[in-house]
Amino acid sequence: MTVGPTDSAEVGEFDVPELTVRAVTVRFAGLVALDAVGFTVTPGSIHAVIGPNGAGKSTCFNVLSGVYRADHGTVHLGGHELTRLPPHRIAALGLARTFQNIVLTRGTVADNLLLGRHVLTTSGFAATALHLPRVSREQRRHRERAREIAEFMHLGNVFDAPVGLLPYGMRKRVEMARALCMEPKVLLLDEPVAGMNAEERAETSDAIASIRDSLGISIVLVEHDMGLVMRIADEVTVLDFGRRIASGVPADIQRDPAVIRAYLGTGEESEEESGDEPGKASGKASEENPNAPAHRPDPPVPADTTAPNLHHPDPAATDREVPT
Amino acid sequence: MSDRVSSTVTRPAETLPARHASPALPGLRRWVRPGAVTAVVLVLLVLPFYVTAFWLQTGLFAMAAAIGAIGLNLLSGTTGQLSLGHAFFLACGAYGYVWFAGDSGRVGVQQLSGPGLPPLLALVLAVLLTGIVGGLFSPISGRLRGMYLGVATLALVFIGHHVMLNAKSVTGGFNGRSVTPMEFGGFTLTDGDPDGLEVLGIPFGQLERLWYFALVLVLVAALTAHNLLRGRPGRALGAVRDSEIAASVMGVPVARYRSAAFVVSSMYAGLAGALIAMIFNRVVPDYFGLALSIDYLAMIVIGGLGSVTGAVVGAVFVTMLPQVLSKYADTLPLVVAPGSPDSGVGPGEAARYLYGAAIVLVLLFAPGGLVGLLRGRPGGAPTGRRTVRLGRTKDSIRTGSKG
Repeated sequence: MTVGPTDSAEVGEFDVPELTVRAVTVRFAGLVALDAVGFTVTPGSIHAVIGPNGAGKSTCFNVLSGVYRADHGTVHLGGHELTRLPPHRIAALGLARTFQNIVLTRGTVADNLLLGRHVLTTSGFAATALHLPRVSREQRRHRERAREIAEFMHLGNVFDAPVGLLPYGMRKRVEMARALCMEPKVLLLDEPVAGMNAEERAETSDAIASIRDSLGISIVLVEHDMGLVMRIADEVTVLDFGRRIASGVPADIQRDPAVIRAYLGTGEESEEESGDEPGKASGKASEENPNAPAHRPDPPVPADTTAPNLHHPDPAATDREVPT
Repeated sequence: MSDRVSSTVTRPAETLPARHASPALPGLRRWVRPGAVTAVVLVLLVLPFYVTAFWLQTGLFAMAAAIGAIGLNLLSGTTGQLSLGHAFFLACGAYGYVWFAGDSGRVGVQQLSGPGLPPLLALVLAVLLTGIVGGLFSPISGRLRGMYLGVATLALVFIGHHVMLNAKSVTGGFNGRSVTPMEFGGFTLTDGDPDGLEVLGIPFGQLERLWYFALVLVLVAALTAHNLLRGRPGRALGAVRDSEIAASVMGVPVARYRSAAFVVSSMYAGLAGALIAMIFNRVVPDYFGLALSIDYLAMIVIGGLGSVTGAVVGAVFVTMLPQVLSKYADTLPLVVAPGSPDSGVGPGEAARYLYGAAIVLVLLFAPGGLVGLLRGRPGGAPTGRRTVRLGRTKDSIRTGSKG
């Protein structure tokens, strides 16, 4: 598994443009979810966005994919400004995403993957209703490609199975495969390994790295599993209270005092790519943050545990009470 | 597009799993569905030779309803958009056909207008007209979702009724307007012309001739809807139903697809309406009331949401029930013939009670509808969801507003 940025020799036939986020601000009725956040995703790299719960990571994803509109700032994908476009136009420009909770549609894995081919296909209502030859040709061709992608994501043997019958980890991979089916230039993964067991996590992180290596596309990753982030990310942006507090390569981030204070807790960040045992932080809450509002989520201080994740991976547990 | 399609993943060989044969259905099961469809079609083909006019008439109404229900199912079952205005679009198709095929002239005291087009052309135009009317509603049908659209479409039924009563030169007003029969180059779908037509010793009158025409229309409707559902538009519509946000980030323009579903559903309703007009020989405004819209909703819920077969089965069930009850009113307990002085429930009311009960039972025990029961999957769609969702009121996605 390579950690450094890939050489662009293997990059696919289409150029992956740079994704540039400039001074994006999002407010929800007085709460500043993102405060002038900016970062740049180098083509073909894995860029992780990390931060404590409530830091603005998902908001950031929603701005990138057009689900939310930024109050200020711009997002550019190559020469296109995404900030004013509706989500389906952004998707057509080659930006695909997955969701923190799994959002699949009814039907089989194949149905879901073919939905991912929507922007790449053209069959309209009339042609499909009449089942014109070109419609079945198109369907057959894209189904083949969807099957390839399913096999790439180790879903080949459940290609025709209803998604509702698949176990959790597989459904998450279906979501990722569906995003890949869009042949995206930029792939946004929102907590791709949340709730997975160690084996599934390892499989998925391998898959993510191999997507970058073999497809050459950019990946933006929100993840709480620090082991995974430090292992596969090329660059990391750290958010806290909607502000960017650090940005750089994983090794620097691990040493950055602001990050340690805000996120990792203080402590000897000496652990290496051992994967599932990242922030063995000594319990020290971030009381040195004077302007912390009352809704501050818990500082991730698993002082007496060896929990693999700094944060509880379960999305439903974001409102965990502050340990005393 | 094709250049991007062909861009293959240059992946390391070891990540390429051996191609699994898709878990093919056991050979027998693969033939169950086409086999069943063929059998049903064969039975329907020979039916006019064996059953009485009553059953033919009832069957014709069921076939017309099936076409309308297929359309409504595309909108409500597949796209999750509630419509209470289906009766309005049935009326559009019925009156559209009657007007396009009708001649202008004076009938009694009423001056009627109409271009007097050939009936087949009139039928096509009626379907297109209904689609256009559905399209005119798209600023509303594209923006409102689920229940809210249902309430908005309610208005259509009442506006339609008002127009039908007052646009007298087109609709004939309260007393309605007689229907020009369908005709193919001199062969009319009536009791005469050609007179005394017999096939295998059976007199072939209006009902028999209409029967085969209706059968063709039902097959076309079912086949096109089946293709739509299995193809790209069907997947996009299903995605709009299951999650608007996911649909939009997959590149589906949600509002456009919602309007498109509405237009397509209207066109099916238009075809059904025109067929109903041909069966009735006369269209009257009062038939196209709110109760008719509710009947169609009952059909798709009882039959099975989101399934073409379900729509057909539900249409047959809901249409035949009152007819069968009135036919056997003498022998059934509690049911009395219409207009009978005995105390009891009329067949119409009895049928409504029964399919009211059927809806409740289906919602409670078989969210997949009758078709779900037939397939041995009472739970319906395999999402583990036990509830039938007709109109969605809120998006279930956590968009992470907490960041």
